Amino acid sequence: MADEQKQDLLQLYRFCFLMLADAAKAQEIFHATLREAAQLSADGESPRDRLWFFRNARWRCLEAGEQGLRAEEVDFEQGELGDGAPSQIEKLDPEQFAIWISAAPDPQRTALALFYLNEFSYSDLLSVTELKPPELSKLLGNGRREFQAWLDATFPTTQT
Amino acid sequence: MSAVTQLSRRDKMLLHCAPLCEEHADEHALRTAIHHAKKTEAYVTQQNFDKAATALVQRVAIPREIVEWIPTETFIAPPRRPWKKYAQHPAFLATGIAVLVIAIVGIIQLVERLNRFPGQTTAQRLLITASSNKSMMLDPVKADAGALGDFLFMKHRLVHYDVPAEFADLKALGARVFDDEEGQRVAQIWVVEKKMQFFMFPAERDVKTGAAKHFNGWRYVDQDRWTGVVREDKGVCFMAALRGGEKDLAPYVSKKKE
Repeated sequence: MADEQKQDLLQLYRFCFLMLADAAKAQEIFHATLREAAQLSADGESPRDRLWFFRNARWRCLEAGEQGLRAEEVDFEQGELGDGAPSQIEKLDPEQFAIWISAAPDPQRTALALFYLNEFSYSDLLSVTELKPPELSKLLGNGRREFQAWLDATFPTTQT
Repeated sequence: MSAVTQLSRRDKMLLHCAPLCEEHADEHALRTAIHHAKKTEAYVTQQNFDKAATALVQRVAIPREIVEWIPTETFIAPPRRPWKKYAQHPAFLATGIAVLVIAIVGIIQLVERLNRFPGQTTAQRLLITASSNKSMMLDPVKADAGALGDFLFMKHRLVHYDVPAEFADLKALGARVFDDEEGQRVAQIWVVEKKMQFFMFPAERDVKTGAAKHFNGWRYVDQDRWTGVVREDKGVCFMAALRGGEKDLAPYVSKKKE
């Protein structure tokens, strides 16, 4: 298997983790997705491209998210992106970011998880999220500002 | 932030989706928006924010079970070559061009065949004769062309070698009868107007039955800048020929004569 495809699969696990903030569940969905791909491949109907894996995993994650405890849907506060944001983010654990993303409603959750994998082109993002450009733009823009507000609340300026 | 406010609404909308890698900006509009915003403070802040978040995601630990579980073979189907790629292959291109040329030649031949009429070959041959003749080669006559039908019958026993009403009033200068290459009796009349020549010759016949092949109306034929207009009546074809085009003959055949 080419290194590029191996990297894709590692990113697939990270995507599942961001969507669920649960390593065990992410692993489970990663395996289930690969099993389905193997089955299709054995049947001579191999997935057409790598996006298939992320689409498939997305729906599995959303399904799994429905079954478990769900974060209460609240309107997040929004803050203006600040110059200090990178240093605030550096202080976070990946798990904290995953918890924040997994708490977002879908399709914003999928959009943010895919975007921050830094793996996909703009048209790939639109394709997997099944969003129109203004919708994706709004979700990403709001996501950044909401995350900034959360960072500001978690690491007040006096602490940075 | 003031710089951002100068961007168009579309640019601002697209910038929210601006990726960190340039190659991920795979749409022209997005690349344009990034180009417009590249030096703005807001864009730089957003990029720094995204870089930090992306770096955080890359710190997500991959469990050993995942790394071990990654299969050795790929499950992704090999990419299918789009039809455009096939079309650009020299062999397909050459075949395509050849088929196109054959089709065009076929269509031209079909159209020509549809426009052909019985006796066209003889008419074209007689146009060559017309182009190389001089009036002095004919026996001088002074009569209307229409009156020469009786002359041809009386002197040469040519039945139905009549000049149609459309051309009957034109003054004739000379006339003759000769045998063409196929031994057919051809009558030729030279008229004053436009140095026009008339030819009358037997209509093409069916090889099996010997019956004359009929066709309706006037048909044009041309050969080496000479044009003829031909009509068949009672097994004899009449052709009026002149040096020029269809437009020179059209006024004669379009007028109704009783």
